[in-house]
Amino acid sequence: MGSVFSRTIAVLAVSGLAVLGALGTLAQSQESSGGDSINGKRVYIAAGCFECHGRVGQGGAYTGPAPVVAKTVLPVEAFVAFLREPPNNMPAYTASVLPDKAALDIYAYLQSLPGPRPPKDIPMLND
Amino acid sequence: MSRARDLPTVGRRNFLKGATLVGAAGLASQVSQAQPTAAPLAHGAPRPNLAAETMPPLPDPVTQTTGGSDFMVDVLKTLDLDYCAISPASMFRGVHEAIVNYGKNVKPELLTCTHEEIAVSMAQGYAKIEGKPMAVMTHGTVGLQHAAMALYNSFCDRVPIYLMVGNIIDANKRAPGGDWVHSAQDPASLVRDFVKWDDQPASLQHFAESAVRAYKIATTPPMAPVMLSLDTELQENPIADAESLRIPKLAKVAPPQGDANAIVETAKLLVAAEHPVLIVDRMVRTQAGMDQLVELAEVLQCPVVDQGGRLNFPTRHPLNHSFRRNTLVAQADVIVGIELNDYWGAVNLYDDRIVRRGRPNYKPSAKMVSIGVRDLFTKANYQEFQRYAELDIAIGGDGEATLLALIEAVKRAVDPSRKSAYEARGKKLAAAKLAQVDQFKSDATIGWDASPITMGRLCAEVYAQVYRDDWSLVGNGIRNEWPLRLWNFDKSYRWNGASGGGGVGYNAPASLGAALANKNHGRLTITINGDGDLMFTPGTLWTAAHHRIPILYVVHNNRAYHQEYMYLQTMANRRARGVENAHIGTTLTDPDIDYAALAKSLGVYGEGPISDPNELAPALARTLAKVRRGEPALIDVVTEPR
Repeated sequence: MGSVFSRTIAVLAVSGLAVLGALGTLAQSQESSGGDSINGKRVYIAAGCFECHGRVGQGGAYTGPAPVVAKTVLPVEAFVAFLREPPNNMPAYTASVLPDKAALDIYAYLQSLPGPRPPKDIPMLND
Repeated sequence: MSRARDLPTVGRRNFLKGATLVGAAGLASQVSQAQPTAAPLAHGAPRPNLAAETMPPLPDPVTQTTGGSDFMVDVLKTLDLDYCAISPASMFRGVHEAIVNYGKNVKPELLTCTHEEIAVSMAQGYAKIEGKPMAVMTHGTVGLQHAAMALYNSFCDRVPIYLMVGNIIDANKRAPGGDWVHSAQDPASLVRDFVKWDDQPASLQHFAESAVRAYKIATTPPMAPVMLSLDTELQENPIADAESLRIPKLAKVAPPQGDANAIVETAKLLVAAEHPVLIVDRMVRTQAGMDQLVELAEVLQCPVVDQGGRLNFPTRHPLNHSFRRNTLVAQADVIVGIELNDYWGAVNLYDDRIVRRGRPNYKPSAKMVSIGVRDLFTKANYQEFQRYAELDIAIGGDGEATLLALIEAVKRAVDPSRKSAYEARGKKLAAAKLAQVDQFKSDATIGWDASPITMGRLCAEVYAQVYRDDWSLVGNGIRNEWPLRLWNFDKSYRWNGASGGGGVGYNAPASLGAALANKNHGRLTITINGDGDLMFTPGTLWTAAHHRIPILYVVHNNRAYHQEYMYLQTMANRRARGVENAHIGTTLTDPDIDYAALAKSLGVYGEGPISDPNELAPALARTLAKVRRGEPALIDVVTEPR
């Protein structure tokens, strides 16, 4: 149940430079990742991301919890690095099965999702 | 499963005349030694069947006034067995008849099941709620083979099952065909690796003693299934010596309590610790056990991680930190595991990668203590005993029975000057708990209106309609943590643990067994049932309808054996082959299964498939109305995978 986000830093420390090199032309911020969110949704489903993380990024479980990814707080570079070499039990998505462009599109899709609502707006969550 | 009896088409005398030489020799051994002996014959000459020709007719009564199984029922009635789950079978027809006629179908009352796996799983779920075993009877060989997986689940789950299996020992008495294929020299050898004790009584008095002994062994911690092989002749034949038979008295074994000195040492460690943590798994058997664990945690202001093998600790208690196990273990200076199924797994991290690896999550200086009965009974073949855990103190004693002594030892050892430190620790833990609950609620809102329906929404909707009832959730889909995140589990019967051995097909029948127990306490039973699991044992629904057992089946319908889908995804990605084919062999589509129609066909009210979240609440209300009226009902909800 450890945080995958904190582990991402460690991944980047050992492998991030190579990944960043491969992503040299990619935008450096969430807002300008350059991905296509519509295609990203298609790829997110086709690549099976939703099987653990849910169709709207609500999170789920595999051998342990699969975190919420809607509006992920990871920077785009960290996100792609994580896909390539996840440090935990998540399946690794190499560039041969998920090209960089597709990864960016997924990132754009996740950023386009509405994410959570205030729980107080849903009375039954306060029973 | 009817007994094959190929009746001769000729008269008995003619049949005997036609017997083979071997048969005649066999018969000859039964007749008086005074019979004349045949003279030697020349090789190849016809051999007259002198024994058959000259023997008197065998006694051939058509009625009897007593049967061994009547006495067996008398014995069973002393053992507080309310139910006996069966799939009818010839090898126990004697006991079957005796239960329904001689025993008036009361204590035990027979439950008709459509598969032996269902029968044993029902007994597993029942025992965990009711705190005592249910009897099960199965056919010889094939019936036991059907039952084996569920027995293994029960063994791993430390649940007593009182299993009886029909068998016919005397080869000379077996009917051709069925009796032979349903008999074994040593029937229990099939399951001996995962039953605690077995016997094959040779007489009725032997049965009486072994029946009482079996109950005693099954219900003594560590609890587990036991098996008696019931000889068909013993069941069916008239009782020869009724006057000499007696039923031994049962004295249940008081659960063993841990060593007093070891408890004091553990208490000293706990009160001196800065970051103690209690990790609990299959401990609580009664509400008193839960109350005592709460008292221990509150005295120490110590976090509790409930692994969920039973419901050990109230989910909304500020000291319940079940979802923060790895964080707490990493910072702990004292870890006390109580009735932990897998101590090693609780304190180490394991990665399922190409190079499989495990590593400690605990500090080298952390002191580790175990309290439980796992060390008191271990078998060799099946590896359910998990990896060896290196401990500082290992207390062999029943967790619940040992708690009171530990609480008293802790109270005696507490230094009053530490009280403010405990309070500060408790406040920090309470704040962390509140933050986590807020996070869970926030996460549950994501995709609230999405279709397929999210598991967060599904579980919130179910709880909204049952929380005012005296509810009991007795089954759950794989890794569905939403109920434990959102619901207020405040009584020990609110949750009933899982399968134990991970055998698919457990949930539907075990939930029904639990529902039967809950029915007697007026509780509303709910189970969240994976679609894949339900398809292993769908006949359970018929048993629910037939015996009028109220239960709400919520089908978590992700149209897949989804955990396996994800494993396949991992394999494909490791080999950089993509996941396009991961659905092959893992999904339940083409055609989609209509679970509501399945339920209706088996006499159970069915709703669904529900894929629009806005239709969920009214459909749940209609379904629950049936359950509250005493019926089983099912709602099929098309959900997100996890």
